[in-house]
Amino acid sequence: MTTALSTSAILPDARGHFGRFGGMFVPETLMAPLQELAAAYAVAKADPAFQAELADLLANYAGRPTPLYFAKRWTDALGGAKIYLKREDLLHTGAHKINNAIGQILLAKRLGKKRIIAETGAGQHGVATATVCARFGMECIIYMGKVDMERQALNVARMRLMGAEVRAVTAGQATLKEAVNEAMRDWVGSVDHTHYILGSALGAHPFPMIVRDFHRVIGVEARRQILEKEGRLPDLLVACVGGGSNAIGLFHPFLDDANVRMVGVEAGGDGIVPERHAARFQGGKLGVLQGTKTWLLADADGQIELTHSISAGLDYAAVGPEHAYLQEAGRVEYTYATDTEALAAFKELAHTEGILPALESAHAMAGVIKLAPTLPRDAILIANLSGRGDKDVEQASRYLLD
Amino acid sequence: MAPLQELAAAYAVAKADPAFQAELADLLANYAGRPTPLYFAKRWTDALGGAKIYLKREDLLHTGAHKINNAIGQILLAKRLGKKRIIAETGAGQHGVATATVCARFGMECIIYMGKVDMERQALNVARMRLMGAEVRAVTAGQATLKEAVNEAMRDWVGSVDHTHYILGSALGAHPFPMIVRDFHRVIGVEARRQILEKEGRLPDLLVACVGGGSNAIGLFHPFLDDANVRMVGVEAGGDGIVPERHAARFQGGKLGVLQGTKTWLLYMGTEKLYHANAGP
Repeated sequence: MTTALSTSAILPDARGHFGRFGGMFVPETLMAPLQELAAAYAVAKADPAFQAELADLLANYAGRPTPLYFAKRWTDALGGAKIYLKREDLLHTGAHKINNAIGQILLAKRLGKKRIIAETGAGQHGVATATVCARFGMECIIYMGKVDMERQALNVARMRLMGAEVRAVTAGQATLKEAVNEAMRDWVGSVDHTHYILGSALGAHPFPMIVRDFHRVIGVEARRQILEKEGRLPDLLVACVGGGSNAIGLFHPFLDDANVRMVGVEAGGDGIVPERHAARFQGGKLGVLQGTKTWLLADADGQIELTHSISAGLDYAAVGPEHAYLQEAGRVEYTYATDTEALAAFKELAHTEGILPALESAHAMAGVIKLAPTLPRDAILIANLSGRGDKDVEQASRYLLD
Repeated sequence: MAPLQELAAAYAVAKADPAFQAELADLLANYAGRPTPLYFAKRWTDALGGAKIYLKREDLLHTGAHKINNAIGQILLAKRLGKKRIIAETGAGQHGVATATVCARFGMECIIYMGKVDMERQALNVARMRLMGAEVRAVTAGQATLKEAVNEAMRDWVGSVDHTHYILGSALGAHPFPMIVRDFHRVIGVEARRQILEKEGRLPDLLVACVGGGSNAIGLFHPFLDDANVRMVGVEAGGDGIVPERHAARFQGGKLGVLQGTKTWLLYMGTEKLYHANAGP
């Protein structure tokens, strides 16, 4: 385990592998553009001018650093570890997704691309992408499942108000997986002038690495902030895991700190029965989906199963490949919260702290409810509050209000 | 009168108390998300082709607007006064959400008065308040919007003031509210002043803010009032244009009068009846 940890900082390898996970399983036409993207990213990453523009936008446009908030009342109510919340919900557009969208549009600019495409599930990544496209004056096409467009109508309107075109995808389940397929299809034919801003730590290399790197700022800030506030590193980190971008962003800067325990919380939906959840580590199979080799939910023939979660942002059949690697290395534990547990956590945080979490983030909060009481009062827990719940108010009201 | 005097006295003591200011500063930084950025809007600046435009990003605060600055300050005052129950009025719902938020954070009972018409057109904000445990009371009198909600909150307060604090949401109402609300929003201008000095090395030429009750505007303007070279412009709601009952621009033909505890410019119809203003704080 220690060996795996010490190499984590230089993963993935040159071909995009995290151990036996990851890779570049794409049509031949996309191999060259992905390699071009990886090369451009390597140069940009080392370029002080790129890093300075990124830092300026993160600070003055997105609103970084986000606070590390000590949730005193919730801590007292749960009676265990001291709970700190990393307030990604306060970022521009309301979730951590903007970190990656800003980074990638700066890459697109370097690559000379004039047109941006993206997929979106709950709409948060679509909103973040539409936002940076407006900010940089680029054409913006968002692919979104028709079913998701209906349940996230507010986010569809937000994208359109910023000038983006939202294209409804009607194939299959008409949710995130099909939206990714459609975006990939667009990209195969448009890659000479189009950049695809992929929204999670998923897909073919170099996307899982790029998305992770742009979200690492979450963990870098949290590390500095907890050292300022408590004078030591935390005992436990908790984050929700759909594709896993917010979780890898928080976890990654702590991977070499052997005493920092980490727990990722997947979407347990109605419980762990086929087609009623999205917890890939609960009986998932090794397979390839949308460019990457990882754990996914599939039937005995290897066909992708339907998934379910109350949270559209966690409702996806595959987990990011680096999470698959970290689970196998024993570095990160993965558990799940059901829809009911996530809603209970939503209500508890709203009532004790006056914070409405996104339903995605509410899964992490459900993890806190289970884990904090098992720790002593002087233990320190940091949970990633990855997004705000304004987009989920209507849905939460149906379950939580009379 | 006595409760308002008690509030003014308690506020004077709190303002001078380093412990109060430290708790306020901690909540503003770690709970609300201050300082907010001062963002140079480069593309918009280029598009308009004139002054360099900086935006003070109060939109990034917890609950999505500047209103939380005042709600945090006033709930700390309520705590000092030993009050256990909070009431507030709200129009669009942003102040109601901010108040429900701080009540949840401090474990206080929370009643929000809101016009029935506003509740219907701002259903999402009503749900946000309820999800945080607040009770939203529909006000059906008159136009069933903000003015009536204020009346109803005042009526509640007259009968409940021994255990209830009224978190008024704009720089309006009877003294000391306009002063207290202003002071809790001054942080906007104090930050903007420091930030523009850091970024540009000098004070701005012009400040612009919208004015309903005027809390965000006074918060930005106040720390610059003594800087004679800083011009300031407040923007009222012109609605459909300046015709009776179709706007809320009190400086466009308003009359001096008294409304809900304070003497100021108002929109009257003829000499007695208030206009139905179509925008407000």
